[in-house]
Amino acid sequence: MAQPQAQNNNRQTPIRIWNIPVRLFHWTLVGCFITAWLTRDNRYLDIHLFAGYLMAGLIVFRILWGVIGGPYASFRDFAFGWHEVWLYLKGVLNRRPPRFLGHNPAGSWAIYLLLTLGVLIVITGLLGLGGEEQQGPLAGWLNYPQGKLAQDLHELLAWLMLGVVGTHLIGVLVESLLHKENLVSAMLTGYKPAPANAVSAASQWKTGIAMAIIILAGGLIWFQGYLTATANQPYRPFIGPELPDNALWREECGACHLAFHPSLLPARSWRTMMEEQASHFGEDLFLEPDTVAEIKTFLVKNAAEQELTEAAWKINQSIPKSKTLLRITEAPYWLKKHRDISDAIWQNPKVNGKVNCAACHLDAEMGTFEDAAMRLPD
Amino acid sequence: MKIFTVVLLCIAALPAQASETAITQVQDSYRTEEGSAFAATRGKSMWTQSFIQKKSGKQVSCATCHTADLKRAGSHIRTGKTIGPMATTANEERFNDPAKIEKWFLRNCKWTLGRECTAQEKGDFLSYFQSE
Repeated sequence: MAQPQAQNNNRQTPIRIWNIPVRLFHWTLVGCFITAWLTRDNRYLDIHLFAGYLMAGLIVFRILWGVIGGPYASFRDFAFGWHEVWLYLKGVLNRRPPRFLGHNPAGSWAIYLLLTLGVLIVITGLLGLGGEEQQGPLAGWLNYPQGKLAQDLHELLAWLMLGVVGTHLIGVLVESLLHKENLVSAMLTGYKPAPANAVSAASQWKTGIAMAIIILAGGLIWFQGYLTATANQPYRPFIGPELPDNALWREECGACHLAFHPSLLPARSWRTMMEEQASHFGEDLFLEPDTVAEIKTFLVKNAAEQELTEAAWKINQSIPKSKTLLRITEAPYWLKKHRDISDAIWQNPKVNGKVNCAACHLDAEMGTFEDAAMRLPD
Repeated sequence: MKIFTVVLLCIAALPAQASETAITQVQDSYRTEEGSAFAATRGKSMWTQSFIQKKSGKQVSCATCHTADLKRAGSHIRTGKTIGPMATTANEERFNDPAKIEKWFLRNCKWTLGRECTAQEKGDFLSYFQSE
């Protein structure tokens, strides 16, 4: 285990403490955390997922590197017990914390906490993705309510991690001030002033280059859809499940407006709507009785209660059982999801009101309404 | 070889014939009712004639949704949904099914004129769609 350095060692020369993989890990993890935070709105789910998968890969790598990474990177070089952390913090309070060339005891605990939180965040994230969105490697493992629970846990853990990051930053600042050294630049360059007898870390540049290549290649593969997308065929990072379809429904309903998928309203709404087809929002549809019957059967059979999609589940949850809404746009869930859409967007000629789902939802025709299949018109 | 060419020509002409057959069939059914000839010019003038909707009090005509140019696509005034052109030359597949033709006449005449169109009017409209 690392020993504290004597405070007044006067012959110090800079040597490499942090090898390249440690530094690349650190700053890429910072990038992942910030990116994941900024893309927490599901609209950017594909970017958020890339940040998450990259974070998972980085953590796995760091655990491995904690075994084979050499001096200062190995866990055994910063395996401090609670007593040492306490001694170190007491030193900080007395403004005379001992100096460690590698990680200090408090910093090491921040690392273990961050790694643990990172792992938990990745796991809850994948569970939430599999449950709420029915996407990713765990698709189908959980149902929507369970997925929502995992998602809530994911958010809570992310806040906790933000707290630890904040504490870590304060620690870096305090130690930099007390020791009059720039720890941030040390994590960038890898160098710290050290006594002549100190062990230097190898640069490990080959591993660093391998990391960089894997990250870049992974990014290229993950985001390649954007490179081949055109204005007419925008890239859709998520393709939803294939929903039940009906030719007569598509033809009759789709003649005047988007054929709104049955999963977007509860069965009681569709029943009422088809029974009142002679005054369909003020217009008589003149549908033949057998046409009405077939469309009604299709609508009721695949209504929101069947929870065919995340939107179906949430719409149905949001409507009080006593209400029979005829407009999807009156469902509380719809209102909540669209509250930030400005009037200017609704009035945009390309949108032309709330009836035109397909103006922004690229998969409106399919009825899947994937979170990341949205784009506001220019 | 000659037969082959004829077959090819027939295949090429198929869609055009399909709509022509359907329209002729529908027009014939109107003719037995009234017996007069149909005129594209009468259809055209009625196409842009305004009617006042009882419920909304709005002035509407066929052209409100379909535009006055049969070769252009229109859009549903309430939902904005694109409506394909009405000229048979610009939109072959529209007139392949007599039942569909009837259904849309019923729906849209009621909406626009507030009443069903007469056989004469419908026949005139069909001639107009074929003339552009």
